[in-house]
Amino acid sequence: MNFWYFLTALTLLSASMVILSKNPIHSVLYLVFTFFCISGHYVLLNAQFLMAVNIVVYAGAIMVLFLFVIMMMDLSKNSPDSKSTLTKLAGAILGGTLLVILIAASRKVDLKDVKPIDAQTGMVEGLGQILYRDYVLPFELVSILFFVAMVGAVMLGKREAGERNF
Amino acid sequence: MQQIPDVIREIPLNYYVWFSAALFCIGIIGVLTRRNAIIIFMSVELMLNSVNLLLVAFSSYKADPAGQIFVFFIMAVAAAEVAVGLAIIVMIYRNIQTIDVGLLNKLKW
Amino acid sequence: MNAIIALSLFGISNLFLGFLNNRKILLPATLVFILIALGLNFADWNHEYYWFNNMLKTNNLSVNFVTIILLSTFLVVAISRSFGDDDEHSHPAEYYAILLFSAVGAIMMVTFENLIMLFVGLEILSVSMYVLTGSDKRSLRSNEAALKYFLMGSFATGILLFGVALVYGATSSFDIHGIAQGVAKAKEQMGGAYGPLLYSGVILIMVGLLFKISAAPFHFWTPDVYDGAPSIFTAFMSTVVKTAGVAATYRILSISFPSVYGLWGNPLVYIVCATLIIGNITAVYQQSFKRMLAYSSISHAGYLLITVLAKRPETNSSLLFYSLAYAIATITAFAVLMVVSEAQAKNGKADESFEALNGLANNNPLLAFSLTISMLSLAGIPLTAGFFGKFFVFSDAFSNPSSLFKWILVIAILMSTVGIYYYFKPIIAAYMKKGEVAKIELSPLYKFILILTTTLTILLGLAPDLVKNIF
Repeated sequence: MNFWYFLTALTLLSASMVILSKNPIHSVLYLVFTFFCISGHYVLLNAQFLMAVNIVVYAGAIMVLFLFVIMMMDLSKNSPDSKSTLTKLAGAILGGTLLVILIAASRKVDLKDVKPIDAQTGMVEGLGQILYRDYVLPFELVSILFFVAMVGAVMLGKREAGERNF
Repeated sequence: MQQIPDVIREIPLNYYVWFSAALFCIGIIGVLTRRNAIIIFMSVELMLNSVNLLLVAFSSYKADPAGQIFVFFIMAVAAAEVAVGLAIIVMIYRNIQTIDVGLLNKLKW
Repeated sequence: MNAIIALSLFGISNLFLGFLNNRKILLPATLVFILIALGLNFADWNHEYYWFNNMLKTNNLSVNFVTIILLSTFLVVAISRSFGDDDEHSHPAEYYAILLFSAVGAIMMVTFENLIMLFVGLEILSVSMYVLTGSDKRSLRSNEAALKYFLMGSFATGILLFGVALVYGATSSFDIHGIAQGVAKAKEQMGGAYGPLLYSGVILIMVGLLFKISAAPFHFWTPDVYDGAPSIFTAFMSTVVKTAGVAATYRILSISFPSVYGLWGNPLVYIVCATLIIGNITAVYQQSFKRMLAYSSISHAGYLLITVLAKRPETNSSLLFYSLAYAIATITAFAVLMVVSEAQAKNGKADESFEALNGLANNNPLLAFSLTISMLSLAGIPLTAGFFGKFFVFSDAFSNPSSLFKWILVIAILMSTVGIYYYFKPIIAAYMKKGEVAKIELSPLYKFILILTTTLTILLGLAPDLVKNIF
């Protein structure tokens, strides 16, 4: 119980640091840390497989991609943020209002018809059964998405004749 | 792996809703207040993760694996989006040597 | 369903055709592919069927939507002219393949039966559009448009997903009929446990989808993106993406949430009014033809949303008719814009302002005539398809008993008259203004498409029942 509060506080703190830190590299590292905390939450929720996937895909693949791009670009020389304080304030107020609304909306919810918890829900076996039986069509069609992303990323990222490297 | 962590029995589901909402709003604030395209992009990832967390929480408390399947798809899509998004950012950086969206004002931003 | 499989395979074969080093073959091959998919699509006619454990549902409504989507894709591909002869900097095989793949996404969005399918389809369509928007790599405008579209699009996806998660929490289902049952159950226990979750969820889903179809408070990215993207892809975005987005919004709101109409209907009323007013009024002040078309697409999103709001069984056919009329007219307008702006290019930059059209009618009567018909159709002048599109939409709104619809109707009609003003600008430029446009050589296919779309617009304007009865 106390551990849950600790982990939650840690997650929110590192998430805030992602958007507050000045240096993009620090942001990435905080984001990786946030992902590890969220994986911790998955363990507490008995979703072990997703915990592993979260670390492998998000922390391992996606964030490394971010790091590569940031390091490739050498952003240290143009770091100042050009947004005015007013826009920042407006954005923060908007986000805060949304949070208050969401919390106020779900304050009275006591989610009564929660089922007795099943230890097998998050296990690889059960998930695999459902993914490859009920959800096989979206699973196959995601490959189209990857295809588009692959073709697109190569097309956009490729250096054309006569272009500078970086 | 047959045991369920004690935590899942003690924490009301509400707390997860509030926690995800907070994470989601941090992401939104990030998108609205930062100007660096990469940071905006990372804030979007934060928003997606809050969605994942909420779905997993609902899925565990309802003993319904469908929610966790959706999380798979969100992760897959996030990976594809990241690939394209970073390619776009690299393309822009190659042309103008900055990724501050405020300095991109050929079109009124 | 057959069309999805066929288009996926054809997209991949298109990439392989790119290895042949023969650009001539790509355009006809892609057109044939789309026609085959269109034919396969009709296999599902009069044959209601759930595919793969309720992931997709095909019925006549979905076949009609898919037909409109594939027809628009066909027309867009037909006016693409193989993306010029610039071998170094354009990649036609990839562009055509991505267009075919994005049609798959659009089809998923009009046939989905499960929110996972909606999400995957939406993402296929969006990711393709991000790539195509940025495909003109050397133009900074195109780059910026891609970045802006990408950031706004993924932000909208996040909002949509949070809504989906909340709705899942409230109803324990991703199936759109399952959600409807869950909503009904929650309503039974009035004020029951799931009220607030469901409410915020529905609103967030709606906001996420409205972002994608650029309705008013969420439209701010549209003009810049439409302006910055290469014209051919702007034509695709303003027709296929809009049709699929509106169809998906209509589908989820009318199937899953009809019993909480007050919840999404009331905000949607204001959104529709704001969309109509902002879209039309700002379009008046535009100097660039392309930007004007972007604002016009915002205003047409408003008219399309009226049908979503009207919530009557007949609105299906008005929605279909309006989408068809709008898509044909928009593609004609873009076809004219593309050739004229290239012919009038200054310093290698295409001129997309209204001045570029000055005196178009003198040497290019066909282009000027097609432009006129398409503008008249978009403005909703009688004897064109657009008139009946607007007429059906307005009569749906009129027959709704709620007094709110009278107000929407008043605003919509007022704004249509505003529309007439700015849609006449290009016509006046083409016929009345002095200027010189050299004779533009058009390929036979291009001429054929212009004549086809113009005839279709007039035909649907003279005899709307031809198509209306099918829908």
